[in-house]
Amino acid sequence: MTEPVNPIRNQFIDELKQSGFTEKQIVVADESRACYGYDATRQSADPMLVLLPDNGEQVESAMRLAAKKELKIFPRGAASGMSGGSIPSDDGIILSLTRMKRILEIDQENMIATVEPGVITGELQEEVSRLGLFYPPDPASLAFSTIGGNVAENAGGPRAVKYGVTADYVMGLEAVLINGEKIKSGNKCVKSVSGYDLTSLLVGSEGTLAVITKILLKLLPAPEAVKTSLLAFPSMTAAALAITAMFKNQIDPSTIEFLDRHSVNAVREGLPFSLPEEADTVLLVEIDGTAPGVLSQSQKLKELFKDDALLLIEAKNESEREQLWSARRRLSPAIANLAPHKINEDIAVPRSAIPAVIARLEKLSEKIALPIVCFGHAGDGNIHVNVMLNKDDPDQARRGHQAIDEIFAITLELGGTLSGEHGIGNTKSAYFDKEWSPPTIAAMRAIKKAFDPDNCLNPGKIFPTQENH
Amino acid sequence: MTSSLWQQELKKCVKCGACMAVCPIYRQTGREEMVARGKLNLIERLNDKNELPPGWIDAIDNCLLCCSCEENCSKGVKITEIIADARHRQTEQLGLNPIKKSAFSLLKNRFLSLPRFLKAGSFLQWLLWRRLPRHSGLVRRLPLPGLDEKTVIPSLPRRHLDDYLKKKQTASGLKPVLYFPGCATRYLYPQMGLDLLYVLERLGFKGVVPEELNCCGMVTWGSGDQKSNQELKERNLETFRKHSDIKDIVTGCASCGHALKEYEDLPKECEILDISEFLFRHREKLEQLVGAKQLDKKITYHDPCHLRKGQGITSQPRWLLKLIAGENFIEMRHPERCCGAGGTFGLSHKEISREILAEKAHDTDATGAEIVTSGCPGCLLQLTEGAVVADSKWQAQHPISLLADLLRRGVS
Repeated sequence: MTEPVNPIRNQFIDELKQSGFTEKQIVVADESRACYGYDATRQSADPMLVLLPDNGEQVESAMRLAAKKELKIFPRGAASGMSGGSIPSDDGIILSLTRMKRILEIDQENMIATVEPGVITGELQEEVSRLGLFYPPDPASLAFSTIGGNVAENAGGPRAVKYGVTADYVMGLEAVLINGEKIKSGNKCVKSVSGYDLTSLLVGSEGTLAVITKILLKLLPAPEAVKTSLLAFPSMTAAALAITAMFKNQIDPSTIEFLDRHSVNAVREGLPFSLPEEADTVLLVEIDGTAPGVLSQSQKLKELFKDDALLLIEAKNESEREQLWSARRRLSPAIANLAPHKINEDIAVPRSAIPAVIARLEKLSEKIALPIVCFGHAGDGNIHVNVMLNKDDPDQARRGHQAIDEIFAITLELGGTLSGEHGIGNTKSAYFDKEWSPPTIAAMRAIKKAFDPDNCLNPGKIFPTQENH
Repeated sequence: MTSSLWQQELKKCVKCGACMAVCPIYRQTGREEMVARGKLNLIERLNDKNELPPGWIDAIDNCLLCCSCEENCSKGVKITEIIADARHRQTEQLGLNPIKKSAFSLLKNRFLSLPRFLKAGSFLQWLLWRRLPRHSGLVRRLPLPGLDEKTVIPSLPRRHLDDYLKKKQTASGLKPVLYFPGCATRYLYPQMGLDLLYVLERLGFKGVVPEELNCCGMVTWGSGDQKSNQELKERNLETFRKHSDIKDIVTGCASCGHALKEYEDLPKECEILDISEFLFRHREKLEQLVGAKQLDKKITYHDPCHLRKGQGITSQPRWLLKLIAGENFIEMRHPERCCGAGGTFGLSHKEISREILAEKAHDTDATGAEIVTSGCPGCLLQLTEGAVVADSKWQAQHPISLLADLLRRGVS
């Protein structure tokens, strides 16, 4: 394959080499670049160039050099994102931060970890747990997603109901601005109110404001014990009432996952335990904390639902726990059998609105004649809505598209938000102005402009593009 | 796979990235084109084009076929099959690597050339190699291309398993099972084969080893030589059919077992069993035989990829090791991680293979074990090299050899 002559790129490469980048850190070949332009949304674009910096200084020099040429920069972690946050344009440069994967410090006294952005979330959790510490955010991708990506997208997970999301653990950052200058925010102080809170601004900014190069993360003492239970209810409303009852009775679950009727039916066959015929909604509840606390709370849970739940199984050991979780883990492949494609949205609503959302999505499903499967984090109102369809059928594709419009309309009407944990990226940007008013968006755009006046850093994300209007 | 099946299979990948969590090559290189979703992306995109770019070939070559990604793939994409198919395409276009080509033609000519070739080697090997202290293996004497001073190769024995079997006396009245030793056991580790046969005998079985058995085909399949693979498979199937009065076909080689289990048209009544599966089925008798005997050395276990991920076997070897060593069996951290051998990968991609091995050696060291066990001759050779690289004293052995030693105790 012949390389198209690209003088700006070639010059840029020369300058990078002079600044200390090695051959291996500059990816030029077509076939290699092609592997840095996709993520979990099935979108794909070939960036002009891929850079694999080893440290913050290299990020600074790359960005300084790129700024002089007004080149576009697209930061990328593990690219396991679900909203296209790392998808480049074909004239853009991918800044892959996966080589910056050092855990720089685990400060046991202050319970703070200092890490580079390429550290795999699960590996950090493993490291800190060996010291009796705990980093709670648990996105489903934690075994391969990077902390940097988690911070940029403000990732959540099942434990959010008790422990919050990534933002709740970021104490400070180092980041590189589009002109190559390094900024710092936050520190190791629990109380810290000096100036604007740039940490909060950068967390969840989807790589549009600065490239994060160092992260200070709050850690907790590891919980002593965890108890997992599975409960089945005859309706979504009954399950929702059960969740409310838990909180009213001082039960403080670390996780409440739910499977709606369609999810339950999809996994029912082949579960390691049998579900009653009438089971419509399944809740997977985890309680963690001190051993006596967990014991008394799970006693209370059993007492509370001995009459209302169709089924209540409590895991007695790790293998039983794994069996209960298998209901949730089997879900993704199981629903994949329902149709060749799925449109997956991760809306969030106030917890109390879950039954209303589910009921309206049932109606929508009938209207558009496509199955809609819902599951997700009942404890925090984050619902994964899956419209099952065959995109190759133009009529189904049209109805699928209509479904998304209506899903978002229903969500926003019930006080919800477009995304609980995946971010807006480029897949939801067209709907952004349905959620926020023009002045609100203008305020956000002004922030973007202050950081990145020429729109060179991860352009095309979050904000509706011109074509959408 | 046909090309339309291929396309369908490729489309199943949603690029979620789960393969990144487990791919040993990605772990070392951090390069996206080296992980399954990147490779599938490359293969998918090249479908209509003819020319294979160097990066493509490099990516497709850089796979251990360890099946880790497949085990972790929620979509069940048949990744290793796609990679092997891609390698087939590559060999169709560029021809098979000449060394592999000659090696495979030797493999297919088992009766005449392979044993002779290896026996000639067993005399000549001392010119180039010297025996490793403490280990069964050889390291080079002089600089050799592609092999550094720590590369361990198996020592070529003067007698092959078949030679021993010709003189072997077996008690009468034993129930026959078919034993598929595999090339490594047959030509490099005959003692391992004898150990397995001894254990079978003690359990009341006679291991029948038909001389006409061929290579299982794993190495040809993995190298993209589908023609040779098909030939070898056909020959083995013919042998199985000839002995179809014997139901159980056992093997002590994880890779052979994995390959054999993939044969589509095995005689209906036949069943392929890893030796650990077979022993577990006869656990009552074995537990009786072992009785109170116990190995008094600390041992640990490395899951061969083709046993764990290829065949889903994890508990039976552990049951066996607990039987042999009781509390002296210690799990290592990440026993499931590939050791980096991957058939011929260790020779063709020394650097990455070594890096993968170094982690395995580190995890082995941390257990304080004197012996690391694994049910695959390929892993055992690699682990031996691991001890050399890490300058450690542990040895690598097949669990069946430890069991045989234990059963031989007190028997004259």
